[in-house]
Amino acid sequence: MTALVDSLTLWRRNTLKTIRVPTVLFFALFQPLLFLFLFSQVFGSLANLPGFQYDSYLQFLVPSIVALTALNSAFSSGMSTVTDMEDGLMDKFLIAPIHRLSIMAGRIFADGSRIMVQALLIIGISLLMGTTYATGVLGIVVIILLAALFGMAWAGLSNIIALRTGNAEATMIVGITITFPILFLSTAFMPAFLLPAWLENVAKLNPITYLVEAIRSLVNDGWIWSDVMQALLVILLLGAIMLTGAVRAFRKAVS
Amino acid sequence: MPLVEVHDLVKVYGKDVRAVDGVSFEVNAGEVFGFLGPNGAGKTTTIRVLVTRLEPTGGTAFVDGIDVTSDPNEVRRRIGYAAQFIGVDDDLTGGETLVLQGRLHGMSTKAAVAQADLLLEVIDLTDAAGRRAGTYSGGMRRRLDLAQALVHKPRLLFLDEPTTGLDPQNRRALWEYLRSLNEDGVTIFLTTQYLEEADALVHRLAIIDHGLIVAEGTPGELKAGIGGDAITVTLHADASLQEIADVEAVLRGLDAAHDVRAFDHSVAVYVTDGGSRIASVVRALDEAGVNPARLELSEPTLDEVFLQHTGERLRVEEVKQQRRTAMGRRRRS
Ligand SMILES: Nc1ncnc2c1ncn2[C@@H]1O[C@H](COP(=O)(O)OP(=O)(O)OP(=O)(O)O)[C@@H](O)[C@H]1O
Ligand SMILES: [Mg+2]
Repeated sequence: MTALVDSLTLWRRNTLKTIRVPTVLFFALFQPLLFLFLFSQVFGSLANLPGFQYDSYLQFLVPSIVALTALNSAFSSGMSTVTDMEDGLMDKFLIAPIHRLSIMAGRIFADGSRIMVQALLIIGISLLMGTTYATGVLGIVVIILLAALFGMAWAGLSNIIALRTGNAEATMIVGITITFPILFLSTAFMPAFLLPAWLENVAKLNPITYLVEAIRSLVNDGWIWSDVMQALLVILLLGAIMLTGAVRAFRKAVS
Repeated sequence: MPLVEVHDLVKVYGKDVRAVDGVSFEVNAGEVFGFLGPNGAGKTTTIRVLVTRLEPTGGTAFVDGIDVTSDPNEVRRRIGYAAQFIGVDDDLTGGETLVLQGRLHGMSTKAAVAQADLLLEVIDLTDAAGRRAGTYSGGMRRRLDLAQALVHKPRLLFLDEPTTGLDPQNRRALWEYLRSLNEDGVTIFLTTQYLEEADALVHRLAIIDHGLIVAEGTPGELKAGIGGDAITVTLHADASLQEIADVEAVLRGLDAAHDVRAFDHSVAVYVTDGGSRIASVVRALDEAGVNPARLELSEPTLDEVFLQHTGERLRVEEVKQQRRTAMGRRRRS
């Protein structure tokens, strides 16, 4: 119980820090919108191909941008952890009489809530641009939750890398290097029917595919529970692995 | 029962860096206890074991009767710790910083806010309390850092070189404040590289060098232990080992000599009532044909104590830079 209170105290502190730095705040909100604009301009003609099953390119793209944002945003998690260590702030948390897991939890919660705000913004703008949501408001809530949960799992990976390298720059570079390939090896930017056969198989092993497909079905097809459940299962599995790894790396880094 | 009890404490980093090499001491409730030692002596390592940040390799450490390794959270509740390097969050305000510490120590928001306001007043940051700490001066950050260790009203404070980097005026002000805390019943364990600081502030101290305690006692006892005043004979910088040994022999030959110590190209003889012995020292040196570059009479100071026990003078790296990464700096600018 007190561990939860401490996690929330640290969540609040982490969130305050994000809001306090105007550049970070601006780019966290602006970047997804930039991607939304760029991708819809560059790849928009995909919608004219025979076999494209969505009403418009935007209907296809918005879920990808939500996923991209969740991934990108999650990756800053480990950088913040390492920065706290370098600034001597982690020491302050470590000698407070709190459960050590609260420190990680406070960090991951802050990642989740930040991603929720970013996803909400993307969806809001997409509504203005004419995207329609087959599952309505409730569907939007589920989309935001899926994105945030996926991001929290992914933040685990970011922390593993950050804590193992102990270096914020290294974390950022690794993050950028793996985020785009992993997105392109999913169905995020190309519908499955346009992917070469080998890539289609790789995409099936890629957790991002399940997140994107679940959001796509919520946006375009209505409540298809098997899609949502599949995504949840993948997120739980990914989260269990990544967060366990992160907690281990954390214990090692602070001992 | 002593508030801090350390027995045969050992900390080995990696395979063979014996940072603390079997240290035992006690800190009694109500006292200011000092750990005096040069760079790399093992001060920070010892303190980090006591504040539960570091697992010792061997030995035991109890704080308020609690084993630091078996029940760290109970220890953490009882102590305040200001690390050697400032840990102040530039993105939060001074007020927020203190309230956060209070909350993490289990205080209600209301109690934490009240205590934070009180402390901000004491450290003269009330006017700046609503500003981000990133805008504070070095001295303000130091004071805020110390205040972070005080929010939850600990009865035992661990301060790692609390005045390093402060100008003399601020250093004195901080001494005053630490004294007043101590008068209110707070026990203080501090490390320092400054002899004046130990002299001015502590009731008892231990001198640590290369991971070992080489002397322990009150400043008075330690000074008395030297055996009187020191008369230091300094030879020319290019004096040979033989010449130094000769001088050592001459000084040992004096009836009044309690002790003789050589270091670099100086030799010190410890005598009672040094002023009246100068003449005989000069005479003896003259007879031996020694031509010293300098002759010095000094009353016993902790500097002498340090010298006697470690064979070195205490040199302080005045400017210690805090580790900062490019990322940290970029965000700060
Ligand atoms: N994490 C570490 N890994 C390896 N060696 C270390 C580590 N931390 C300290 N040391 C070594 O242990 C010894 C004692 O270091 P410590 O920091 O305790 O000294 P100190 O008395 O606090 O010195 P200073 O006055 O410079 O702060 C030094 O030789 C130092 O190089
Ligand atoms: Mg130190």
